[in-house]
Amino acid sequence: MLVKFNLNGLDVEINVKPGEYLLDTLRNYGVKSVKKGCDGSSCGACTVLVDDKPVLSCSLLTAKVEGHKVMTVESIQDEAAALSECFSREGADQCGFCNAAFALMVHALKKENPHPTDEEIKDYMVGNLCRCTGYQSQQKAIKAFLGGKK
Amino acid sequence: MKAKSFLRASSLEEAYKLVKESPRNKIVAGGLWLKKGNADVDTLIDLSLLGLEKIEDKKDYVEVGAMVSQRELEKSPLVPEVIREATKAIMGPAFREIATVGGSVYGKYGFSDIITVLLAHHVELVFYPEAVITLDEYVKKPGFYDGILTNIRIFKDKNKAYFKKVEITALDYPILNVAVVKGKEYKVVVGSRPLVAALCENSTKYLNEGGKDFAKAAELAVEELKFGDSIATKSAYRKQLALTYVRRALEEVSK
Ligand SMILES: Cc1cc2nc3c(=O)[nH]c(=O)nc-3n(C[C@H](O)[C@H](O)[C@H](O)COP(=O)(O)OP(=O)(O)OC[C@H]3O[C@@H](n4cnc5c(N)ncnc54)[C@H](O)[C@@H]3O)c2cc1C
Ligand code: FES
Ligand code: FES
Repeated sequence: MLVKFNLNGLDVEINVKPGEYLLDTLRNYGVKSVKKGCDGSSCGACTVLVDDKPVLSCSLLTAKVEGHKVMTVESIQDEAAALSECFSREGADQCGFCNAAFALMVHALKKENPHPTDEEIKDYMVGNLCRCTGYQSQQKAIKAFLGGKK
Repeated sequence: MKAKSFLRASSLEEAYKLVKESPRNKIVAGGLWLKKGNADVDTLIDLSLLGLEKIEDKKDYVEVGAMVSQRELEKSPLVPEVIREATKAIMGPAFREIATVGGSVYGKYGFSDIITVLLAHHVELVFYPEAVITLDEYVKKPGFYDGILTNIRIFKDKNKAYFKKVEITALDYPILNVAVVKGKEYKVVVGSRPLVAALCENSTKYLNEGGKDFAKAAELAVEELKFGDSIATKSAYRKQLALTYVRRALEEVSK
Protein backbone atom coordinates (compact mmCIF):
# COMPACT_ATOMS: atom_id res chain seq x y z
CA MET A 1 0.00 0.00 0.00
CA LEU A 2 1.10 3.59 -0.64
CA VAL A 3 1.52 5.83 2.40
CA LYS A 4 2.00 9.58 2.08
CA PHE A 5 3.51 11.63 4.86
CA ASN A 6 5.87 14.49 5.48
CA LEU A 7 9.39 13.36 6.36
CA ASN A 8 11.72 16.03 7.71
CA GLY A 9 9.93 18.72 5.71
CA LEU A 10 9.58 16.79 2.46
CA ASP A 11 6.40 15.11 1.23
CA VAL A 12 7.08 11.44 0.58
CA GLU A 13 5.05 8.58 -0.81
CA ILE A 14 6.33 5.14 0.14
CA ASN A 15 5.13 1.68 -0.76
CA VAL A 16 4.85 -0.42 2.41
CA LYS A 17 3.37 -3.70 3.61
CA PRO A 18 0.10 -3.27 5.59
CA GLY A 19 1.73 -4.67 8.76
CA GLU A 20 5.00 -2.77 8.38
CA TYR A 21 6.40 -0.59 11.14
CA LEU A 22 7.71 2.93 10.69
CA LEU A 23 11.19 1.96 11.89
CA ASP A 24 11.64 -0.50 9.02
CA THR A 25 10.10 1.90 6.52
CA LEU A 26 12.46 4.70 7.52
CA ARG A 27 15.57 2.51 7.55
CA ASN A 28 14.68 0.96 4.18
CA TYR A 29 14.18 4.49 2.89
CA GLY A 30 17.75 5.28 3.95
CA VAL A 31 17.19 7.06 7.25
CA LYS A 32 19.70 5.08 9.29
CA SER A 33 19.85 7.50 12.23
CA VAL A 34 16.73 5.74 13.53
CA LYS A 35 18.07 2.73 15.40
CA LYS A 36 16.68 -0.74 15.90
CA GLY A 37 17.50 -1.73 19.46
CA CYS A 38 15.05 -4.17 21.04
CA ASP A 39 12.38 -3.97 18.32
CA GLY A 40 9.98 -4.62 21.18
CA SER A 41 8.80 -1.23 22.55
CA SER A 42 11.29 -1.31 25.42
CA CYS A 43 14.51 0.61 24.68
CA GLY A 44 13.56 3.90 23.01
CA ALA A 45 16.41 3.77 20.42
CA CYS A 46 13.89 3.98 17.58
CA THR A 47 12.21 7.18 18.80
CA VAL A 48 11.03 9.66 16.15
CA LEU A 49 8.61 12.57 16.34
CA VAL A 50 5.17 12.34 14.79
CA ASP A 51 3.39 15.69 14.77
CA ASP A 52 6.06 16.84 17.24
CA LYS A 53 5.32 14.05 19.74
CA PRO A 54 7.85 11.32 20.50
CA VAL A 55 6.80 7.82 19.45
CA LEU A 56 8.54 4.45 19.22
CA SER A 57 8.86 3.89 15.48
CA CYS A 58 9.39 0.13 15.98
CA SER A 59 5.87 -0.10 17.33
CA LEU A 60 3.93 2.33 15.15
CA LEU A 61 2.46 0.95 11.94
CA THR A 62 3.58 3.02 8.96
CA ALA A 63 0.01 3.06 7.65
CA LYS A 64 -0.90 5.10 10.72
CA VAL A 65 1.32 8.06 9.75
CA GLU A 66 -0.62 8.74 6.55
CA GLY A 67 -0.99 12.53 6.32
CA HIS A 68 1.20 13.20 9.37
CA LYS A 69 4.54 14.90 9.95
CA VAL A 70 7.48 12.65 10.83
CA MET A 71 10.77 14.05 12.11
CA THR A 72 14.06 12.28 12.68
CA VAL A 73 17.26 13.75 14.11
CA GLU A 74 18.19 15.09 10.64
CA SER A 75 15.58 17.81 11.10
CA ILE A 76 17.05 19.13 14.36
CA GLN A 77 20.75 19.08 13.45
CA ASP A 78 21.77 22.32 15.18
CA GLU A 79 20.01 21.46 18.38
CA ALA A 80 21.41 17.92 18.32
CA ALA A 81 24.94 19.33 17.90
CA ALA A 82 24.47 21.66 20.87
CA LEU A 83 23.12 18.82 23.01
CA SER A 84 25.99 16.64 21.88
CA GLU A 85 28.44 19.23 23.27
CA CYS A 86 26.73 19.00 26.65
CA PHE A 87 26.86 15.20 26.45
CA SER A 88 30.60 15.26 25.68
CA ARG A 89 31.30 17.65 28.52
CA GLU A 90 29.54 15.34 30.99
CA GLY A 91 30.93 12.11 29.53
CA ALA A 92 27.36 11.13 28.72
CA ASP A 93 27.93 9.14 25.56
CA GLN A 94 30.20 6.44 24.23
CA CYS A 95 29.04 4.42 21.24
CA GLY A 96 26.35 6.93 20.29
CA PHE A 97 23.70 4.34 19.45
CA CYS A 98 21.13 5.98 21.74
CA ASN A 99 22.00 9.60 20.91
CA ALA A 100 19.64 10.42 18.05
CA ALA A 101 16.68 9.22 20.10
CA PHE A 102 17.87 11.17 23.14
CA ALA A 103 18.15 14.34 21.04
CA LEU A 104 14.58 13.93 19.76
CA MET A 105 13.28 13.27 23.26
CA VAL A 106 15.04 16.36 24.61
CA HIS A 107 13.66 18.43 21.72
CA ALA A 108 10.13 17.23 22.57
CA LEU A 109 10.64 17.77 26.30
CA LYS A 110 11.85 21.33 25.69
CA LYS A 111 8.69 22.11 23.71
CA GLU A 112 6.40 20.57 26.29
CA ASN A 113 8.16 21.72 29.43
CA PRO A 114 11.02 24.18 28.78
CA HIS A 115 12.18 24.28 32.42
CA PRO A 116 11.81 20.77 33.82
CA THR A 117 12.79 19.69 37.31
CA ASP A 118 15.24 16.80 37.78
CA GLU A 119 12.31 14.49 38.43
CA GLU A 120 10.50 15.65 35.28
CA ILE A 121 13.62 15.03 33.17
CA LYS A 122 13.92 11.55 34.68
CA ASP A 123 10.25 10.75 34.05
CA TYR A 124 10.50 11.94 30.45
CA MET A 125 13.66 10.02 29.63
CA VAL A 126 12.79 6.80 31.48
CA GLY A 127 11.96 4.88 28.31
CA ASN A 128 15.30 5.64 26.63
CA LEU A 129 18.01 3.19 27.55
CA CYS A 130 21.74 3.65 27.17
CA ARG A 131 23.93 0.58 27.51
CA CYS A 132 27.22 2.48 27.77
CA THR A 133 26.94 5.30 30.27
CA GLY A 134 25.29 5.85 33.61
CA TYR A 135 22.15 7.95 33.50
CA GLN A 136 23.53 10.53 35.94
CA SER A 137 25.79 12.06 33.34
CA GLN A 138 22.98 12.27 30.80
CA GLN A 139 20.69 13.83 33.38
CA LYS A 140 23.36 16.47 34.07
CA ALA A 141 23.93 17.08 30.36
CA ILE A 142 20.23 17.49 29.61
CA LYS A 143 19.85 19.79 32.58
CA ALA A 144 22.77 21.91 31.41
CA PHE A 145 21.31 22.02 27.90
CA LEU A 146 17.85 23.06 29.08
CA GLY A 147 19.01 25.15 32.01
CA GLY A 148 16.52 23.13 34.11
CA LYS A 149 15.06 23.98 37.49
CA LYS A 150 16.47 22.47 40.72
CA MET B 1 3.16 -8.10 12.24
CA LYS B 2 1.72 -9.89 9.26
CA ALA B 3 -1.36 -8.36 7.65
CA LYS B 4 -2.92 -8.66 4.22
CA SER B 5 -4.57 -5.24 4.34
CA PHE B 6 -5.01 -2.14 6.47
CA LEU B 7 -8.33 -0.35 6.52
CA ARG B 8 -9.12 2.97 8.07
CA ALA B 9 -12.78 2.39 9.01
CA SER B 10 -15.12 5.22 8.08
CA SER B 11 -17.83 4.13 10.53
CA LEU B 12 -18.26 1.85 13.53
CA GLU B 13 -20.73 -0.12 11.45
CA GLU B 14 -18.08 -0.80 8.81
CA ALA B 15 -15.51 -1.77 11.44
CA TYR B 16 -17.93 -4.09 13.23
CA LYS B 17 -19.03 -5.74 9.99
CA LEU B 18 -15.41 -6.60 9.24
CA VAL B 19 -14.80 -7.92 12.76
CA LYS B 20 -17.85 -10.20 12.41
CA GLU B 21 -16.78 -11.38 8.97
CA SER B 22 -13.70 -13.21 10.21
CA PRO B 23 -11.74 -13.75 13.42
CA ARG B 24 -8.66 -12.95 11.31
CA ASN B 25 -9.78 -9.32 10.97
CA LYS B 26 -8.54 -7.36 13.97
CA ILE B 27 -9.14 -3.93 15.42
CA VAL B 28 -5.84 -2.10 15.76
CA ALA B 29 -5.68 0.62 18.40
CA GLY B 30 -2.10 1.50 19.39
CA GLY B 31 -1.04 -1.86 17.99
CA LEU B 32 1.61 -2.40 20.70
CA TRP B 33 0.09 -5.57 22.05
CA LEU B 34 -0.67 -6.88 18.58
CA LYS B 35 3.01 -6.42 17.79
CA LYS B 36 4.08 -8.10 21.00
CA GLY B 37 1.93 -11.11 20.07
CA ASN B 38 3.37 -11.06 16.55
CA ALA B 39 -0.16 -11.03 15.17
CA ASP B 40 -0.89 -12.62 11.81
CA VAL B 41 -4.14 -11.16 10.47
CA ASP B 42 -6.11 -10.57 7.29
CA THR B 43 -7.32 -7.01 7.79
CA LEU B 44 -6.15 -4.51 10.37
CA ILE B 45 -9.09 -2.25 11.17
CA ASP B 46 -7.96 1.18 12.27
CA LEU B 47 -10.37 3.30 14.34
CA SER B 48 -8.45 6.60 14.03
CA LEU B 49 -11.06 8.41 11.93
CA LEU B 50 -14.03 7.74 14.19
CA GLY B 51 -13.69 10.59 16.70
CA LEU B 52 -12.83 8.24 19.56
CA GLU B 53 -9.88 10.28 20.81
CA LYS B 54 -11.78 12.80 22.95
CA ILE B 55 -11.98 13.19 26.71
CA GLU B 56 -15.23 14.94 27.65
CA ASP B 57 -16.90 16.15 30.82
CA LYS B 58 -20.42 14.69 30.88
CA LYS B 59 -21.63 16.07 34.25
CA ASP B 60 -21.84 12.77 36.17
CA TYR B 61 -18.86 11.18 34.52
CA VAL B 62 -15.82 11.82 32.37
CA GLU B 63 -16.06 10.07 29.02
CA VAL B 64 -12.78 8.81 27.59
CA GLY B 65 -12.76 7.69 23.95
CA ALA B 66 -11.26 4.26 23.33
CA MET B 67 -8.60 5.76 21.02
CA VAL B 68 -7.36 8.28 23.59
CA SER B 69 -3.66 7.64 24.11
CA GLN B 70 -2.31 6.89 27.57
CA ARG B 71 -0.35 10.11 27.25
CA GLU B 72 -3.50 12.20 26.70
CA LEU B 73 -5.15 10.43 29.62
CA GLU B 74 -2.31 11.25 31.99
CA LYS B 75 -2.30 14.90 30.90
CA SER B 76 -6.04 15.54 31.13
CA PRO B 77 -7.17 17.62 34.12
CA LEU B 78 -10.62 16.00 33.76
CA VAL B 79 -9.22 12.62 34.77
CA PRO B 80 -8.79 11.75 38.48
CA GLU B 81 -5.22 12.29 39.64
CA VAL B 82 -4.65 8.71 40.76
CA ILE B 83 -5.57 7.37 37.29
CA ARG B 84 -3.19 9.85 35.70
CA GLU B 85 -0.38 8.82 38.04
CA ALA B 86 -0.94 5.09 37.43
CA THR B 87 -0.84 5.70 33.68
CA LYS B 88 2.36 7.72 33.93
CA ALA B 89 4.08 4.73 35.52
CA ILE B 90 3.80 2.69 32.30
CA MET B 91 7.01 2.62 30.21
CA GLY B 92 8.16 5.98 28.71
CA PRO B 93 6.26 8.85 27.04
CA ALA B 94 7.09 7.65 23.49
CA PHE B 95 5.37 4.36 24.37
CA ARG B 96 2.36 6.03 25.98
CA GLU B 97 1.83 8.30 22.95
CA ILE B 98 0.98 5.13 21.02
CA ALA B 99 -0.79 2.93 23.60
CA THR B 100 -4.52 3.59 23.86
CA VAL B 101 -6.92 3.45 26.77
CA GLY B 102 -9.31 1.24 24.77
CA GLY B 103 -6.59 -1.28 23.91
CA SER B 104 -5.51 -1.32 27.55
CA VAL B 105 -9.00 -2.05 28.86
CA TYR B 106 -10.22 -4.38 26.10
CA GLY B 107 -7.15 -6.62 26.41
CA LYS B 108 -7.80 -7.47 30.11
CA TYR B 109 -4.09 -7.99 30.67
CA GLY B 110 -3.26 -9.64 33.97
CA PHE B 111 -0.50 -7.13 34.66
CA SER B 112 -2.55 -4.08 33.70
CA ASP B 113 -2.03 -1.00 35.86
CA ILE B 114 -4.88 0.77 34.08
CA ILE B 115 -7.48 -1.90 34.84
CA THR B 116 -6.44 -2.03 38.50
CA VAL B 117 -6.78 1.71 39.01
CA LEU B 118 -10.00 1.97 36.96
CA LEU B 119 -11.60 -0.93 38.83
CA ALA B 120 -11.27 1.03 42.07
CA HIS B 121 -13.59 3.65 40.50
CA HIS B 122 -17.12 3.31 39.18
CA VAL B 123 -16.40 2.72 35.50
CA GLU B 124 -18.70 1.75 32.63
CA LEU B 125 -17.67 0.52 29.21
CA VAL B 126 -19.66 1.50 26.13
CA PHE B 127 -19.58 -0.93 23.21
CA TYR B 128 -20.82 -0.85 19.65
CA PRO B 129 -23.39 -2.29 18.88
CA GLU B 130 -25.19 -0.67 21.77
CA ALA B 131 -24.17 -2.15 25.12
CA VAL B 132 -23.05 -0.66 28.39
CA ILE B 133 -21.47 -2.85 31.08
CA THR B 134 -19.46 -2.09 34.18
CA LEU B 135 -15.72 -2.68 34.06
CA ASP B 136 -16.14 -5.13 36.93
CA GLU B 137 -18.60 -7.22 34.86
CA TYR B 138 -16.31 -7.06 31.84
CA VAL B 139 -13.26 -8.22 33.77
CA LYS B 140 -15.15 -11.09 35.42
CA LYS B 141 -16.71 -12.29 32.18
CA PRO B 142 -14.57 -14.98 30.55
CA GLY B 143 -13.21 -14.13 27.10
CA PHE B 144 -13.61 -10.85 25.27
CA TYR B 145 -16.72 -8.85 24.51
CA ASP B 146 -18.07 -9.29 21.03
CA GLY B 147 -18.11 -5.66 19.95
CA ILE B 148 -16.08 -2.51 19.59
CA LEU B 149 -15.24 -0.61 22.73
CA THR B 150 -16.03 3.03 22.01
CA ASN B 151 -15.91 4.84 25.36
CA ILE B 152 -14.89 4.45 28.96
CA ARG B 153 -17.02 6.35 31.49
CA ILE B 154 -15.34 7.27 34.74
CA PHE B 155 -17.99 8.38 37.24
CA LYS B 156 -17.20 11.32 39.45
CA ASP B 157 -16.89 10.80 43.18
CA LYS B 158 -15.15 12.93 45.77
CA ASN B 159 -12.59 10.55 47.10
CA LYS B 160 -9.13 9.85 48.40
CA ALA B 161 -7.20 7.38 46.36
CA TYR B 162 -3.98 5.39 46.36
CA PHE B 163 -2.20 3.40 43.67
CA LYS B 164 0.99 1.40 43.89
CA LYS B 165 2.79 -0.43 41.12
CA VAL B 166 5.42 -2.83 42.43
CA GLU B 167 8.02 -3.57 39.78
CA ILE B 168 11.56 -4.85 39.77
CA THR B 169 12.92 -2.09 37.51
CA ALA B 170 11.31 1.01 36.03
CA LEU B 171 10.34 -0.58 32.70
CA ASP B 172 9.12 -3.91 34.04
CA TYR B 173 5.63 -5.28 34.14
CA PRO B 174 4.37 -4.96 37.69
CA ILE B 175 4.70 -7.97 39.96
CA LEU B 176 1.71 -6.60 41.86
CA ASN B 177 -0.43 -3.50 41.75
CA VAL B 178 -2.86 -2.15 44.32
CA ALA B 179 -5.51 0.55 44.09
CA VAL B 180 -7.69 1.72 46.95
CA VAL B 181 -10.34 4.42 46.78
CA LYS B 182 -12.27 5.85 49.70
CA GLY B 183 -15.22 7.83 48.42
CA LYS B 184 -18.85 7.20 49.30
CA GLU B 185 -17.52 3.75 50.08
CA TYR B 186 -14.23 1.87 50.03
CA LYS B 187 -12.98 -0.12 47.07
CA VAL B 188 -9.90 -2.33 47.34
CA VAL B 189 -8.41 -3.77 44.14
CA VAL B 190 -5.35 -5.98 43.68
CA GLY B 191 -3.98 -6.84 40.25
CA SER B 192 -1.00 -8.42 38.54
CA ARG B 193 -1.11 -11.46 40.85
CA PRO B 194 -0.29 -12.28 37.92
CA LEU B 195 -4.04 -12.69 37.28
CA VAL B 196 -6.10 -9.75 36.11
CA ALA B 197 -7.17 -7.21 38.71
CA ALA B 198 -10.10 -8.02 40.99
CA LEU B 199 -12.15 -6.14 43.50
CA CYS B 200 -11.57 -7.59 46.98
CA GLU B 201 -15.19 -8.06 47.94
CA ASN B 202 -14.79 -9.35 51.50
CA SER B 203 -12.26 -6.71 52.38
CA THR B 204 -14.37 -3.96 50.82
CA LYS B 205 -17.49 -5.25 52.67
CA TYR B 206 -15.63 -5.32 55.99
CA LEU B 207 -14.49 -1.70 55.53
CA ASN B 208 -17.87 -0.46 54.31
CA GLU B 209 -19.53 -1.98 57.37
CA GLY B 210 -17.28 0.13 59.55
CA GLY B 211 -14.27 -2.19 59.99
CA LYS B 212 -11.28 -0.16 61.14
CA ASP B 213 -8.53 -2.77 61.40
CA PHE B 214 -6.57 -2.19 58.18
CA ALA B 215 -4.26 -5.17 58.72
CA LYS B 216 -7.36 -7.38 58.94
CA ALA B 217 -8.79 -5.80 55.76
CA ALA B 218 -5.50 -6.61 53.99
CA GLU B 219 -5.64 -10.21 55.26
CA LEU B 220 -9.20 -10.57 53.98
CA ALA B 221 -8.07 -9.31 50.58
CA VAL B 222 -5.22 -11.81 50.41
CA GLU B 223 -7.43 -14.70 51.59
CA GLU B 224 -10.12 -14.15 48.98
CA LEU B 225 -7.88 -13.66 45.93
CA LYS B 226 -5.91 -16.20 43.94
CA PHE B 227 -2.18 -15.52 43.59
CA GLY B 228 0.15 -17.30 41.20
CA ASP B 229 3.78 -17.71 40.20
CA SER B 230 5.44 -16.11 37.18
CA ILE B 231 9.02 -15.84 35.93
CA ALA B 232 9.38 -12.63 37.90
CA THR B 233 8.25 -13.89 41.31
CA LYS B 234 6.34 -16.43 43.39
CA SER B 235 2.81 -16.23 44.76
CA ALA B 236 4.06 -16.19 48.38
CA TYR B 237 5.99 -12.97 47.73
CA ARG B 238 3.02 -11.43 45.96
CA LYS B 239 0.87 -12.20 49.00
CA GLN B 240 3.34 -10.49 51.32
CA LEU B 241 3.42 -7.47 49.05
CA ALA B 242 -0.38 -7.35 48.95
CA LEU B 243 -0.61 -7.52 52.76
CA THR B 244 1.76 -4.59 53.08
CA TYR B 245 0.46 -2.39 50.31
CA VAL B 246 -3.26 -2.85 50.98
CA ARG B 247 -2.71 -1.91 54.62
CA ARG B 248 -0.53 1.04 53.62
CA ALA B 249 -3.10 2.16 51.05
CA LEU B 250 -5.88 2.11 53.63
CA GLU B 251 -3.78 4.11 56.09
CA GLU B 252 -3.01 6.59 53.34
CA VAL B 253 -6.62 7.17 52.19
CA SER B 254 -7.84 7.43 55.78
CA LYS B 255 -5.50 10.27 56.78
C1 LIG C 1 6.51 -4.01 26.08
C2 LIG C 1 5.21 -3.69 26.74
C3 LIG C 1 5.19 -3.34 28.10
C4 LIG C 1 3.99 -3.04 28.74
N1 LIG C 1 4.00 -2.71 30.07
C5 LIG C 1 2.83 -2.40 30.69
C6 LIG C 1 2.81 -2.06 32.08
O1 LIG C 1 3.82 -2.05 32.77
N2 LIG C 1 1.60 -1.74 32.63
C7 LIG C 1 0.43 -1.74 31.91
O2 LIG C 1 -0.62 -1.44 32.46
N3 LIG C 1 0.44 -2.05 30.60
C8 LIG C 1 1.59 -2.39 29.99
N4 LIG C 1 1.57 -2.76 28.66
C9 LIG C 1 0.28 -2.78 27.94
C10 LIG C 1 0.04 -1.43 27.26
O3 LIG C 1 -0.02 -0.41 28.23
C11 LIG C 1 -1.29 -1.41 26.48
O4 LIG C 1 -2.33 -1.65 27.38
C12 LIG C 1 -1.33 -2.44 25.39
O5 LIG C 1 -0.24 -2.27 24.53
C13 LIG C 1 -2.63 -2.38 24.56
O6 LIG C 1 -2.85 -1.13 24.04
P1 LIG C 1 -2.78 -0.86 22.46
O7 LIG C 1 -3.43 0.47 22.23
O8 LIG C 1 -1.41 -1.05 22.00
O9 LIG C 1 -3.77 -2.01 21.90
P2 LIG C 1 -3.67 -2.94 20.58
O10 LIG C 1 -2.42 -3.74 20.57
O11 LIG C 1 -3.98 -2.15 19.38
O12 LIG C 1 -4.93 -3.88 20.85
C14 LIG C 1 -4.93 -4.84 21.88
C15 LIG C 1 -6.11 -5.80 21.68
O13 LIG C 1 -7.35 -5.13 21.90
C16 LIG C 1 -8.17 -5.12 20.72
N5 LIG C 1 -8.74 -3.76 20.69
C17 LIG C 1 -8.05 -2.59 20.80
N6 LIG C 1 -8.92 -1.55 20.83
C18 LIG C 1 -10.16 -2.08 20.75
C19 LIG C 1 -11.48 -1.50 20.74
N7 LIG C 1 -11.66 -0.17 20.84
N8 LIG C 1 -12.54 -2.33 20.65
C20 LIG C 1 -12.34 -3.68 20.54
N9 LIG C 1 -11.14 -4.27 20.54
C21 LIG C 1 -10.06 -3.49 20.66
C22 LIG C 1 -7.22 -5.42 19.57
O14 LIG C 1 -7.88 -6.06 18.50
C23 LIG C 1 -6.20 -6.34 20.24
O15 LIG C 1 -6.70 -7.63 20.32
C24 LIG C 1 2.76 -3.09 28.00
C25 LIG C 1 2.77 -3.43 26.65
C26 LIG C 1 3.98 -3.73 26.01
C27 LIG C 1 3.95 -4.08 24.55
S1 FES D 1 13.70 -0.54 19.00
FE1 FES D 1 11.86 0.49 19.46
S2 FES D 1 11.80 0.55 21.61
FE2 FES D 1 13.59 -0.63 21.18
S1 FES E 1 26.19 5.76 24.29
FE1 FES E 1 26.12 3.67 23.75
S2 FES E 1 24.03 3.16 24.05
FE2 FES E 1 24.16 5.16 24.80
